[in-house]
Amino acid sequence: MARGIIRGFIILLSVCCIVSANSETINNDLVIKNVERSIDLQSQLTKIVNKLTVENTGKNPVKSLLFAIEQKHKDGLSYIAAQTRDTSRSALKISETKVQNHPDKLFYKIELKDALSPGRSLAIEVETVSSNELVPHPKEITQKEKQLVRYFGNVYFYSPYTVAKQTSVITLPSRNVENYTKFKPVVQSDSTITYGPYEKVAPFSVEDLILHFENNNKFLTIKKLERVIEISHWGNIAIEETIDLYHTGALLKGSFSRYEYARESKSGQSSVQNFNTILPAAASDVYYRDEIGNISTSHMRIRKDAVELNLRPRFPLFGGWKTHYVIGYNVPSYEYLFNSGDEYLLRMRLLDHVFDDMVVEELVTKIILPEGSHSVKLNAPYSVTRLPDTLHYTYLDTKGRPVITITKNNLVENHIQDFQLRYTFPRLLMLQEPLLVVIALYLLFLLVIVYVRLDFSINKDEVSESKLRIAGRCEKILAAQDRRVNSYNDLDDQLSELKANKNTNTFQAAVKSINQEYKTATNTISELSLKLKGESGDVYERIQELQKLDKALKELYNQQQALYFDKLIPGRIGRQPFVDAESVIIKKKEETVEKINSIVKSLQ
Amino acid sequence: MGLLAKTGGLRMSAEKQETLLKLSILSIAAVLSFATRLFSVLRFESVIHEFDPYFNYRTTKFLAEEGFYNFHNWFDDRAWYPLGRIIGGTIYPGLMVTSAALYHLAWLLNITIDIRNVCVFLAPLFSSLTTIVTYLLTKELKDSAAGLVAASMIAIVPGYISRSVAGSYDNEGIAIFCMLFTYYMWIKAVKTGAIFWSSLAALAYFYMVSSWGGYVFLINLIPLHVLTLMATGRFSHRIYVAYSTLYCVGTVLSMQISFVGFQPVQSSEHMLALGVFGLCQIHSLVDYLRSKMSQNDFELLFKALVFSMVVISFVVGGALTVTGKISPWTGRFYSLLDPSYAKNHIPIIASVSEHQPTSWSSFYFDLQILVFLFPAGLYFCFSKLTDSNIFLILYGVTSIYFAGVMVRLMLVLAPVMCILSGIGASSMLLTYMKQIESGKVVDKKSKKFENNYVLRSEIATLFVAVMCFLFVSYTLHCTWVTAEAYSSPSIVLSARSPDGGRMIFDDFREAYYWLRMNTPEDAKVMSWWDYGYQITAMANRTILVDNNTWNNTHISRVGQAMASSEDKAYEIMRELDVDYVLVIFGGLTGYSSDDINKFLWMVRIGGSTDKGKHITEWDYYSPAGEFRVDKEGSPVLLNCLMYKMCYYRFGQVYTEGGKPSGYDRVRNMEIGNKDFELDVLEEAYTTEHWLVRIYKVKDLRNRGI
Repeated sequence: MARGIIRGFIILLSVCCIVSANSETINNDLVIKNVERSIDLQSQLTKIVNKLTVENTGKNPVKSLLFAIEQKHKDGLSYIAAQTRDTSRSALKISETKVQNHPDKLFYKIELKDALSPGRSLAIEVETVSSNELVPHPKEITQKEKQLVRYFGNVYFYSPYTVAKQTSVITLPSRNVENYTKFKPVVQSDSTITYGPYEKVAPFSVEDLILHFENNNKFLTIKKLERVIEISHWGNIAIEETIDLYHTGALLKGSFSRYEYARESKSGQSSVQNFNTILPAAASDVYYRDEIGNISTSHMRIRKDAVELNLRPRFPLFGGWKTHYVIGYNVPSYEYLFNSGDEYLLRMRLLDHVFDDMVVEELVTKIILPEGSHSVKLNAPYSVTRLPDTLHYTYLDTKGRPVITITKNNLVENHIQDFQLRYTFPRLLMLQEPLLVVIALYLLFLLVIVYVRLDFSINKDEVSESKLRIAGRCEKILAAQDRRVNSYNDLDDQLSELKANKNTNTFQAAVKSINQEYKTATNTISELSLKLKGESGDVYERIQELQKLDKALKELYNQQQALYFDKLIPGRIGRQPFVDAESVIIKKKEETVEKINSIVKSLQ
Repeated sequence: MGLLAKTGGLRMSAEKQETLLKLSILSIAAVLSFATRLFSVLRFESVIHEFDPYFNYRTTKFLAEEGFYNFHNWFDDRAWYPLGRIIGGTIYPGLMVTSAALYHLAWLLNITIDIRNVCVFLAPLFSSLTTIVTYLLTKELKDSAAGLVAASMIAIVPGYISRSVAGSYDNEGIAIFCMLFTYYMWIKAVKTGAIFWSSLAALAYFYMVSSWGGYVFLINLIPLHVLTLMATGRFSHRIYVAYSTLYCVGTVLSMQISFVGFQPVQSSEHMLALGVFGLCQIHSLVDYLRSKMSQNDFELLFKALVFSMVVISFVVGGALTVTGKISPWTGRFYSLLDPSYAKNHIPIIASVSEHQPTSWSSFYFDLQILVFLFPAGLYFCFSKLTDSNIFLILYGVTSIYFAGVMVRLMLVLAPVMCILSGIGASSMLLTYMKQIESGKVVDKKSKKFENNYVLRSEIATLFVAVMCFLFVSYTLHCTWVTAEAYSSPSIVLSARSPDGGRMIFDDFREAYYWLRMNTPEDAKVMSWWDYGYQITAMANRTILVDNNTWNNTHISRVGQAMASSEDKAYEIMRELDVDYVLVIFGGLTGYSSDDINKFLWMVRIGGSTDKGKHITEWDYYSPAGEFRVDKEGSPVLLNCLMYKMCYYRFGQVYTEGGKPSGYDRVRNMEIGNKDFELDVLEEAYTTEHWLVRIYKVKDLRNRGI
């Protein structure tokens, strides 16, 4: 922590040094020929677009020009951008700077693409967005009343250079204007007010502009937005946003009447009942909840290029009321995460849309990378503060996932831009989590096996042990019996083949190996049964019975074989006597088999 | 031809097959008991239900965040303003400690589960464990077949589900497990007479004491068992060891719970246990003496001993009761013995619906076929009396009595119903199943004997079929009851909209969240005590009274405020520093358990103390003796604070087609007092469906205006 502060301090110090070293001066050769300024006050934001035509009246080419912001507008300024006004409309580099002799004002330096040569002029456009500049007046209204706000501005375009000619067009949300500064020439038509044209205005001129008008649009401020992006290399990115929402319009005075709110459309005009949040098109599993559970009043519409969520807070928000909620969803990672080998690049929005014309006072974005990622490099679209990295522990983690934390104050919709995050992640680490599960289960089973198989009791339990031994022997005997059954089945096949083909040679060759197998199986059984004799007389007897029956069965097979060999193949028997003799043998076989089966069943 | 049978690859001995079967039935039952309790989570969300669970949830959260010692010393200034409540000393902490332990264990393994989810799923988890314990207990009492039937039955019995669905995070959820576990240990101890098992029984008893006030039932049942064994001449050294160990260790352990404190040696509810403990010692002494003395000497000594014992115990007991060392029998206990006691004496006990006597239909509703199988099980227990069977009989008979007295105690009855029905069903099935296959019996003697029965096999088959039908109907009934009756969180209401879709009324949370977000941190909210726990947990604001109804006077004061006219109520509200008043009003949606329907209880409780003597129930009835809110209603009712808060501006609302404005859909009448303004209150918030209305108490008026 302390180290982080020191590091931050050093960075700050070095930034200061650079700035003071690069202190600018105002180039008086530059003259602004024409300014068309449009101020959009329809929402809670002040959006100003300045269209400038700059001329170089000096002798030397000019590389850059300055853009000034008044002291009273310094704090509200949230976003600034510049671009050329030709067909390419390419963005120009703009950066904050200091100017000698003007320490109280805020200056931005706009760097031109090509130097402006003497005598030439250039058209550029500077856009600024400011928040919190519309002040409710009166500060408190009842439920029925409409919301009036005041705007304090400057009739002139605030410029470090002389402005030859300028006009300002102010757009308001309604034609209902209580009052406005009448500094001629000024025209109000419908919901727009036009100031100017004014000619030959000296640098840094100020003429107070006060507007007092109706604005019932959403005065919602996000006091704090915490955005957590959790990356999984298994194909998913989970995003969760925790939002503290305030209604910063005129405060509600007196009581809230549900009857009037439901009945009269004029009632509670400035309150916010719902708003739309636009999520990425791939967003799925969206949830919307707060500390006490799911908020059931929301609708989701899936559009072609986005998922639109219509969110209704639990209660309508009046001036001064606040709410707090969490919204979360998943997106597939292939749209945002790219890799080559072990190098990964994440490109996502630093801030996402919450509602139109939103104001975010404090943004904290946390990016949770997979466990084992390292050498992280962040590339932010605008200047942000990166807080010290932390660790996050969740399912199947051992040493924690690195968390990158970024913060920035005072943001608006124009700040919805992508950041890039490069990091290295050894792909072999993907195996870590499945292996962890496998090992844990393996150990569990091993433990159970050890517990079940080993006897931990101090005294010996003779009865159950001998039972176990008998069961083990029986199992082996049954296995041998299975082998014997196999040999009989083979023999049956061979016999039926012999009956058909009458080929004695092949038969005899096959029977030899079958008999061999049979003999070994029978021997195994008799050996095992001898061992059993001491343990359990009952089981032993049954096996003896089995052996006897088996002998009888084998004898029957031999008879059948002899019948085929001696009578059928030489042709010494008629058809009918053969069939009779065979059926007798088969019947006997069946009887024996049934007896054997019942013994085997009893042994199981 | 007949093929030689192969035993195949998967060979299993009969024992192994039995084990597999047992394990799979038991685990299916355990899983089922978890799964069947998830209806509300699937239908709504993972949310805590009802009232008391919110308090338990809040305290669990505190415990999980602040640690045990802070929890133990926690003085809660959010409730019972201005008195406050010492939480650590007035609750059974077992539930909270259990979930906090599970929560910390999960986090130790990096399972980032929310504490709310631990709380929501704790009751289903413990019902799974209950299923297993029921099997073990029944196995001890009878055999494993009966155990399996009992386990399958308890998995889905509605009487138990009613208190243990996911989200119903209450003491009972784990207490039933603790209780059965203690019984299991006790039976083990009785059977073996080993100190090991009785110590385990004492530990299980400690867990039970730490989790539910119902432990009193347990500590009376076990001594009763011992007493019965003594009376039937079955007392032995095994019983002596088991009971002495359990009583000594268990009592000392139970006194560690600060809410229980010295009650085990002072209150009369525990005296049976103490008395039986003494009796055990005397019995053993007598047995010893008998073995050493001649018959005549012994009889003389015995008579003298009995006489002096009776005299001494009367004198000592009487003296202690008079001096107040033994606490008088509490109201709840009286109402157990005499169902009409509470109604006549303590309105605050009678006003709770779960303290009402049980109706016959709810026995069938909660237990279905168990009601019929229960006597069969009792019969089988009687037919083969053992020490442990006597326990089961006692448990069954006493709990059926208590369940008849109080709806809530159906919960204690449900397990024993399952166990006895399990024994009954399994014994009967065992008898008849044998008859189905008996055609193959080779033994000639038995064959001759059995030939006396006509159509033996057919009747047996029929009987088994009937049993199967009963089981199936039981399953269907239980599922239906669980789904329809016991799975609504009551914090979120749902109804069918006219177009067939589902409408969700989330007004309670809307109001609580509004309070949480848009009132000052230290605002005091007055509401009827039912909503106290929910407000502290969800709105995080200070309240005057809550569901822990420990201070009757304070609740009565709130009742008086609600029942008085605006001016009088304002005085009370100023006295109690009230900032907001919250009422529940169902007149617009037709939600019938709202504050107007509870109002008579407020009047009764308000009038039950000295300060509220002037409030009498009869003032609130119409001349015809009815409770009406329309024009015929009593003027006192039409001008009291509760009426005005509920119906403020309601007179202008049209609720139903063809009816005049201000038509109350719960009481089905047009309200009597429509046009009035509030002097001392202003409407602060009303939810979308008017279910919850919150008023702000105005400051004192400036002078001279």
